[in-house]
Parts: sequence; C-alpha cells; structure tokens
Amino acid sequence: MNATQDDIPPPPEVRGIVLDGAEPYVIKADENAALCRSTGIEPAGDGTAHPIYHFIATQLGMKHSVAEFCALFDFDVADGPMIVGSIVTFHTPLRVETPYWVRGEILSITRKQSRKLGTMDVADYRLALLDGETSVAEVTNSWIFPRKART
Amino acid sequence: MTPGTLLTPFVVEAVSPGAMREWSVFLADPNPIHLDAEAVRAAGLGDRPINQGPANLAYLINLLSLNFPEMDIVTLETRFNGNVFAGDRCVAGGHVIEVGETGVRCEIWLDVDGGGRAVSANASVRKRARP
Repeated sequence: MNATQDDIPPPPEVRGIVLDGAEPYVIKADENAALCRSTGIEPAGDGTAHPIYHFIATQLGMKHSVAEFCALFDFDVADGPMIVGSIVTFHTPLRVETPYWVRGEILSITRKQSRKLGTMDVADYRLALLDGETSVAEVTNSWIFPRKART
Repeated sequence: MTPGTLLTPFVVEAVSPGAMREWSVFLADPNPIHLDAEAVRAAGLGDRPINQGPANLAYLINLLSLNFPEMDIVTLETRFNGNVFAGDRCVAGGHVIEVGETGVRCEIWLDVDGGGRAVSANASVRKRARP
C-alpha cells in the first residue's frame, strides 16, 4: 500500500539548527591531487585546490556526518537522501593545507508531493567556509528526503 | 567571446568505478549505491554504481577551468537532474550568456550519452586578481 500524507509524521522542527564545525577542515595537497586526477585533470601548481572542495570541505567540516545530518531530519541515510541543488559563491579560491572553519545552519524544510517520489521533504541549509574570520565561500544546498509511511 | 559562444566541451569517456571508490573516501560517504551494483539494483535505481553528485559537479568545474584558465569561479548555481552511472560517457558543455569587463556568465550542463541531462548550472567567472 502506498503511503499517504496522513500516514507520515509532519516534518521535524529543524529550522535554525546550527551546523558549525568543531574543528577546521584542511584540504590535503595529496588528496587534492588524487581528486583532480580522478576527474581527468592535473592539480594546479599554485597551491589552489579544486573548487569542488567548497562542497567537500563544508560537508565534512560541519558538525555532523552525513548520517547524523540525515538523522536530524528523522531520516535514515540508507534510505537514499538526494541532493537536488547547490549554490556557491566564492570570495577567494580555496587553497590546500589551509585550515577552514565551517559555520552554518538549517534554513528550511518544506513538505512536498512528487509524482515520482511521493511525499518528500525538501531541506535547505547554508554553510560558510572561513579562513580565520574571513569567509572564502558560502554554500546553500538543497536535499530531498523521500518519506515512507510508518509501518 | 560573445553571448552564444559555445564552450569547448570537457569529456569523460567512461565514468570509472575506481574513481567512485576514491570519491567515497573524499566525501567520507560509504553509501553502497556508489560502490556496489547489487545495492543499486536493490534500491531500484538501475544496475550499475551511481556516480557521486559532487563528482559530476567537478566535471562542470573542469569545463570552466578549461575554457577560462585565467579566471576564477565566482558563483555556481547547480541543479542535479539525474544520475550518471559507471561506464557512462558524459560531456560537460555550455554557452556564454553575458560578457562583462571583468567576467563572463555562462549556462553549463552535463549530458550523458543516451541518458539526458544529469546536471545543469549557471556560472559566473571573473578575471583572476591574485598575482
């Protein structure tokens, strides 16, 4: 039997939950080189990191692992969360071997109906990457959590 | 370069399962749909490992680096529309929307051969200021 909206608890109250990291994230030069090569390019020789580290550094440098983050939304990571959107603004290029701090919060959660996924919650959260007190990049990600009825 | 100019594509001839294993480490994400075809089948998502979304986004960033080697990315607004599977050939492409004194705005995308548009994005780049 398919889940209906009535079978599914309302989205959890997560707006405003702080996601600040407890320790800085450092882009290791050797890992950056391996990542670059895994995508088909050579690493830059000037100390800058692949810009995709805006995503990795914020995700790994925030307070929670992916599984813990999903749990904030009463969602089991094994049930397949999906990232659907991401917006990043860079103020300066990212650099290897530089400690970056992550600050952020959950912005919203919205219950929606999808023909493909049924009932789902769309969550937006914002993370900033800081070098000391200076923001080097700001990221807003949107994830979907497909919901199942309670059994 | 003027509005409408097509970017030189960045091509991934075959998405590598080995690279997916590396990205599981980079992302600290052990989700088996990126590692194990059986997990993908069990989830009803296909029959090959699914490339990590940020890896797909990295291909778009490579496209920008290829076409604008003297510029830095300022903004990137991305929509993830579909999956890229192990073995897929995918092509990152795009065109110029606007050219300013210090930067360029583009519409870019990642298309999978036979699989449609997996990622679409708007990007802006500006002339590098650092020495």
